[in-house]
Amino acid sequence: MIDINWALVAPLLVIQFILFIVALIDLIRIHETNGPKWVWAIVIIFLNTIGPICYFIFGRKTS
Amino acid sequence: MKTFIILLQKEFRESWRSFKFLWMPLLFILLGITDPLTNYYMEDILNAVGNMPDGFSLSLPDFVPIDILMASTGQFQSIGLIVFVITIAGMINRERQNGTATLIYVRPISFFALFMSKWVVGSLLGILSVSLGYAGSMYYTAILYGSVDTMSFIQMVMSYCVWIVFATAVALMFSAIFKTAFATTFTIIVIPFGVMIDSLIGQYWHFSPWKLANYSVQLLSDTHNEYYIKTLLLTIILLILAIIIGILFTRKNAGTTKI
Amino acid sequence: MIRIEHLTKVFGGEKVVDDLSFVLEAGTSTALIGPNGAGKTTTLSMLTGLLKPTNGSIRMNDTQDIRKEIGFLPQYPNFYPWLTALEFTEMTGKLNGVPSRDAKKQAERVLDFVGLTNDRSKKTSTFSGGMKQRLGIAQAIVHKPKLLILDEPVSALDPVGRREVINLLKQLQQHSTILYSTHILNDAEEMTDQLLFLKKGQLVEQGSLKDIRTKFDSFRYKIQFTSKEEASLFATQSQLPTTVEESYAFIEIKDGFPTMQELMSQLIVLPFSILKVERVTMTLEEIFMKVVGQ
Ligand SMILES: Nc1ncnc2c1ncn2[C@@H]1O[C@H](COP(=O)(O)OP(=O)(O)O)[C@@H](O)[C@H]1O
Ligand SMILES: [Mg+2]
Repeated sequence: MIDINWALVAPLLVIQFILFIVALIDLIRIHETNGPKWVWAIVIIFLNTIGPICYFIFGRKTS
Repeated sequence: MKTFIILLQKEFRESWRSFKFLWMPLLFILLGITDPLTNYYMEDILNAVGNMPDGFSLSLPDFVPIDILMASTGQFQSIGLIVFVITIAGMINRERQNGTATLIYVRPISFFALFMSKWVVGSLLGILSVSLGYAGSMYYTAILYGSVDTMSFIQMVMSYCVWIVFATAVALMFSAIFKTAFATTFTIIVIPFGVMIDSLIGQYWHFSPWKLANYSVQLLSDTHNEYYIKTLLLTIILLILAIIIGILFTRKNAGTTKI
Repeated sequence: MIRIEHLTKVFGGEKVVDDLSFVLEAGTSTALIGPNGAGKTTTLSMLTGLLKPTNGSIRMNDTQDIRKEIGFLPQYPNFYPWLTALEFTEMTGKLNGVPSRDAKKQAERVLDFVGLTNDRSKKTSTFSGGMKQRLGIAQAIVHKPKLLILDEPVSALDPVGRREVINLLKQLQQHSTILYSTHILNDAEEMTDQLLFLKKGQLVEQGSLKDIRTKFDSFRYKIQFTSKEEASLFATQSQLPTTVEESYAFIEIKDGFPTMQELMSQLIVLPFSILKVERVTMTLEEIFMKVVGQ
């Protein structure tokens, strides 16, 4: 097995987790999204890192 | 000047409330720390994944810090840059298309102030993201591979920031000229694809804005690049040009806002 | 006073606004009236500076940048969803030169005026159509503009919302110059000093409500029968020029003719019953149709 130094990898996981949580909370609180909310929920939950970023770029409604 | 401050505040508010100042830096930090980490674990990963035949020994090159920072720059120049310019290329035209610009344009603002407020906020977003991304990359590189000269590193980051500020101006210029779909397409072609194209066929010329990123990383090495200053100057000149064109088109296309 | 001369806008070879000239006197209200596509929005957009006229001029007493002196409510106002009503009104006030220290107070005052006191700290993304229209009015008056330009201020609202907004506008009317467009003529009847009738980009008639009434209005007799057939039968039999609508017959009065007696003498011999006879004036809508139909 790979001998992973968790102290090194932890920041990576923390950042991914922050992106995930912020995107999810914003999705819950936002009034309306481009496209159905539940689709974005799936995207955020199942696509690691890319999901939250895509939501921030394309999902949030700007008007 | 006063309207500039008010518009600047508005842009900051928007970027802050849409979490751009959170997720963009985080994305760049992720991109920055990916390469030092994966390269470090590459041998282990390959061993774990592949059933290497006996006697086969994989020899990975021995990376030095500058290689890793170069790899991180490659990440910024591809994924990072695409995401960044998509975000910027919608800043002016989207407001016209959804009609929110109307209630701003009917007020006595100058389009210079309007464009500059967006450019300043976009640039600061880029500078913050890139700086944190490089900081992340450098931190891991220093732990895993060794350090580089601090002054050279700062110089490199600042030099790369000139490129990001240039990219912001170009994306905003297209945003002022075209609707969102076209502006995004053109910006992606000119900025991230431009970098790719320049790296493929760019050996025939020595200075262009698309080379600035690579030249910036070269600042870490001892070799002196005689074309660096010219490239930097050219980038700054084109940056100013993009801003001027952008302001002119922001004014010219003000009437296209949905009323 | 604002003077508009030979205002023209061409879109793709077509004159959408064609040589308009009119004057907006200080303190008066003017209604720009016309069916959809007449060029109302285009005209107002040129007045706000959003669109450049192809031809013609807009002049306001010794003002260089007309944008400083106007407040504008678009037909469908759009707001930044990430700002609250108060933040937005404050920002727009500041952009119009309201000093920073007064901007918030002033914004609160106009939001009170439009009845958004309790909603002022909500994000505009949660606002209903009527609330948006009222916020639209607030941002248009926050800097106390000399001229208030409103594009179909009540057309998109339900009857209750319409009533509310009309009442707001009536209050504003007392101390500002207003130019608004509408295709609903009942609204114009309520609050107007000057009427501008627009048809296919051209100004076909202008004047005060009273002038236009005396010029175009005519009195008519309106006779109600029990059925459409009877009304039609009367129309063919009578020697008077008669139009029929449902079970009503209308007879125009020209130079006092026919008199009520003359009409009665014809009605009295009819073999069927008459429910009602009255002398009526035209609605503004009917006058408009008459003017525009010419
Ligand atoms: N940007 C534009 N380009 C081309 N034609 C336009 C444009 N804006 C409006 N028009 C045309 O001008 C005419 C008048 O439009 P508008 O001023 O919106 O009328 P109204 O507000 O009275 O309904 C319409 O026929 C419309 O199709
Ligand atoms: Mg209209």
